[in-house]
Amino acid sequence: MEKVTITLNGQQIETTTDKTVLQTALDNGIHIPHYCYHPGLSIAGNCRMCLVEIEGIPKLQISCNTFCRDGMVVHSTNDRVRKAVRQVLEFLLINHPLDCPVCDQAGECWLQIYYMTVGQYDSRFTGNKVIKHKKATPIGKWVMLDQERCITCSRCVRFTREISKTNEMVIFNRGDHCEINTYPGRELENRYSANIMDICPVGALTCRDFRFKCRVWYLESADSICPSCARGCNIVIHHNPHRPHKRNGARVMRLKPRYNPEVNKWWLCDDGRYNYRFIDQGRLRHCSVLSPTGREQLYLDEGLRRLAELLRQTPPRQTLLLLSAHSSNEEAFAARRLFDQSLGCLCKLPDEGVFTGDQDDFLIREDKHPNTNGVLRIFGWQTSDLLPMADLLDFVAQKNIKVLLVNRHELSADILGQLDQLECRLVYLGTNVTPAAEAAYLAVPLATFAEKEGTFTNCDGRVQKFSPAFLALGDAAPEWEIYSRLAQHLGLEQAFPSAAEVFEQLRTGNPFFQKLEFHEIGAFGELGAP
Amino acid sequence: MTEKILSRRFDLKDSHTLKVYEENGGYIALRKALKEMSPAQILDEVKRSNLRGRGGAGFPAGMKWSFLPKDTDKPVYLCVNADESEPGTFKDRFIMERDPHLLIEGIIITCYTIRSSQAFIYIRGEYLSQARLLEQAIQDAYAAKYLGKNILGSGFDLDLILYIGAGAYICGEETAMLESLEGKKGYPRLKPPFPAVIGLYNCPTIINNVETIANVPAIVERGGDWYAGLGPPKNGGTRLFAVSGHVKRPGCYEHPLGYPLKKLLYEDAGGILDDLPLKAVVPGGSSVPVLKADEIDINLDFDSVQAAGSMLGSAAIIVMHERTCMVKATERIINFYKEESCGQCSPCREGTGWLLKIIQRILRGEGVMEDIDLLYDVSEGILGNTICPLGDAVAMPVMSYVTKFRDEFEYFIAHKKSKIETMVS
Amino acid sequence: MELTVNLKSRLDEIKRKFPFAFSSVLPAIHAVQEEFGYIPLEIEPAVARYLAVPQERIREVTTFYFMFNNRSVGKYHIYLCSNVSCWLRNYESILAYLEKKLNISAGETTPDGRFTISLVECLGMCEQAPVMQINGISYGDLTPEKIDRILDNLD
Repeated sequence: MEKVTITLNGQQIETTTDKTVLQTALDNGIHIPHYCYHPGLSIAGNCRMCLVEIEGIPKLQISCNTFCRDGMVVHSTNDRVRKAVRQVLEFLLINHPLDCPVCDQAGECWLQIYYMTVGQYDSRFTGNKVIKHKKATPIGKWVMLDQERCITCSRCVRFTREISKTNEMVIFNRGDHCEINTYPGRELENRYSANIMDICPVGALTCRDFRFKCRVWYLESADSICPSCARGCNIVIHHNPHRPHKRNGARVMRLKPRYNPEVNKWWLCDDGRYNYRFIDQGRLRHCSVLSPTGREQLYLDEGLRRLAELLRQTPPRQTLLLLSAHSSNEEAFAARRLFDQSLGCLCKLPDEGVFTGDQDDFLIREDKHPNTNGVLRIFGWQTSDLLPMADLLDFVAQKNIKVLLVNRHELSADILGQLDQLECRLVYLGTNVTPAAEAAYLAVPLATFAEKEGTFTNCDGRVQKFSPAFLALGDAAPEWEIYSRLAQHLGLEQAFPSAAEVFEQLRTGNPFFQKLEFHEIGAFGELGAP
Repeated sequence: MTEKILSRRFDLKDSHTLKVYEENGGYIALRKALKEMSPAQILDEVKRSNLRGRGGAGFPAGMKWSFLPKDTDKPVYLCVNADESEPGTFKDRFIMERDPHLLIEGIIITCYTIRSSQAFIYIRGEYLSQARLLEQAIQDAYAAKYLGKNILGSGFDLDLILYIGAGAYICGEETAMLESLEGKKGYPRLKPPFPAVIGLYNCPTIINNVETIANVPAIVERGGDWYAGLGPPKNGGTRLFAVSGHVKRPGCYEHPLGYPLKKLLYEDAGGILDDLPLKAVVPGGSSVPVLKADEIDINLDFDSVQAAGSMLGSAAIIVMHERTCMVKATERIINFYKEESCGQCSPCREGTGWLLKIIQRILRGEGVMEDIDLLYDVSEGILGNTICPLGDAVAMPVMSYVTKFRDEFEYFIAHKKSKIETMVS
Repeated sequence: MELTVNLKSRLDEIKRKFPFAFSSVLPAIHAVQEEFGYIPLEIEPAVARYLAVPQERIREVTTFYFMFNNRSVGKYHIYLCSNVSCWLRNYESILAYLEKKLNISAGETTPDGRFTISLVECLGMCEQAPVMQINGISYGDLTPEKIDRILDNLD
């Protein structure tokens, strides 16, 4: 690898010899049309859209397979290149159905985009299109195949060969009868299957979950972090704020991976991608208290006043807070500051779902929480300090716990019954209505990750920021906000005004976070101190 | 009568047997190569011979061999391209069925030169009887210690495997052939990297046509200068010209490069069938531009044919007399490339199908005058923009037929029938 | 569907010949076709397992190459060349004769399962045009009379 300078459309660009012309152009904000090229996959060179003229070479060259050499003079927009690219696009479209109005890819289809940017010709094709067999056929749990829309760029084939290493997608037959498909009778079986519809540049592979839910131009997006395991894959939340009458008011339409070279590259596992319904469904929206007539809804402040009262009546060493590794770093810090340090309550992080999940050698981690690492570091614990969930009742009995605050954890009917027998009052803080929330003396609504700002610390110690896609439902709020108000009711002068300010408090006392600045944590996150 | 190099044993009885081969000068060059010459010396002779690839592109063989990386610790492979599939081409078949040991001897010497101990012959699946002959010849060569360990006591080892294709013209493209040899679909690879650096199983690989390799023993035996002197400058040696179509004696004729096309047609091949006037000649396999009857006063070497606006290609000469409908001829050629397009890259996959639809529409009497320019434009859109030369192989001839015989296309569209029909007595 | 003993020993032989598993795919499929006359879909997974390659890679090969039959064909599979040189020598009249004689169209198999006619691209026998192959054996300079002789001599 050596540093070189190339000239692209008259502009001098510094690059290196291990980079192709296409990569160099894209890195410098110059878009050269392409379909088959994907930075995460091997170079296929089959779509021929990225043709460029290189001075001194008679034929046009594909920029995806042309490595930069010093002094190379490249044209990607001159008349000769435009004509060739327009012609390639016309080839790709002759057998493509003209059914954009009923195609779910419309609006994010690269055939449409390039037709508008480099196409704009009048079609000269008048024959019958080649008929392909499978239309809107499910080829797995999440992916729908429309063969006739395929431009055989082979991205999906390369993904299942090179990334998931499961080989399901194949181009069968040859010539203009070639078609992508899975082996007869076999479905997409890999746990990363939905990525192939992300990288499909056209409408051949679409998402069974998302199809026809929402036109993509109605979507807004927020950068976030997947909360489904300790990897902390970077995601975008696509949501639809404009049409609440659709889909029963569901806001989240889909999650998509967001590029982070240090964490998930371009990919996301299916488990994470489709774990979003809890954001809109079955939410705990208000505080409620158990009364002789049933559950009584309370204003948030009334609920927190009652919680403060309960905490005041109970000796702190008989109060246990079961922390959650779904809490952000800021929330965990606020919990420690208030419950552990100010009130002197007991705080424990249960081992539930930390060691028992399945794991692979790619993205999926056995710990199904986004922030176990952060909570441990904030409390100064090792994994050996985790409270085995099986020991919870013994612990409650031994320590004579009278108030148990549970942050998000699900408790079995058995545990709920035994807590009752031990005369331990349950306070549930959580995002969703669960048996524990319904059994609790007091239930307090929390915001989901999609409704708040904050950071998670992933399994590799990378602190990554997420931003709110929309406001929390009902009275739900981030924990630090809940704890701020609770502190007021307790007469404590403790305030957690925003995630940024809590993070500032956190980093001053914690060597792991010390060097990080909330506002300077970039799109790819930052590693804490080793 | 010119001296024959490749075809001199073709008419002997049992010419395909080791016995006849050895009795008629066979494996002498191999002995000379292994006992008297170093690989560098042989490479030098091949370079001096001006031997150019006989598969179609005409790339100098010696230069190709010298692209192999020096001091590689990977094995080097030789793959011999016997996937002869281009319409009109059958010269390699003659070598394989009439003198298979000539090919084997050429392979052994070539491998010795490029320091390869594993060679493959990739033969098209349709050449089943030739494959059987060749397999027998290979076994005979093993038995006679021309193949295997320590060949003729020289310390040089070579294994030769015959690999049988399964019906795909594209596998004659050298990198598609490598894919097929690796047991995959015949999808041409992107270049770079070139096979000499990263080829079969990611190892340095030389790919040569059957006829190219069959010339090597003579070059070793009689020297590169002698061989070069047979043809015009930069066009060493002889070629097997495969003549088919409207001639009285279709067949395979060996002559030095630079042999006059007219002489080949009217003397060797006996003139035009039924003594009809000549209309067109394809001088290098179906993939090259066609020559009109008044353009055939040329010599058959790479450079002269190119100067005449076509290519010598595989030296397959297809002759068409005046009763040939050039619209239908174009359709046959397009149909071939459409059927044989591997489908990997867009211009070829979609363009060949589109061309076929246009030409079929014209043949059905449903064409419009704009279709003629459209045939040209679509071809131009394919030309030069594909992964492998198959795109050019359809674009170049179509552009030439449309240009040179435009009147026939116009007639067909205007009258909904071929101009030829007006001449049938 | 399981591999027959005969097929297993053929595949063993092929595997020995090639140091790389993938290279054995084409020869192995040829062997399967020799055994069954075509490539039954149900045999592919067993072949794939035996060669230690994904079944997908087998199928992409069987659907890519023209000579691999994905459906059963007649006992005698006639390849009739249809490209330029044979067209110049009037293969069309030979095709018409064959179709009439066997009472099927190109691409079809006779009801008794004896003959399939496939139109093929160049067979590389252009000097003997028009030409055909029946189960790998080539016949050139075809005339209706010659076709009668050839077909009538098949059992």
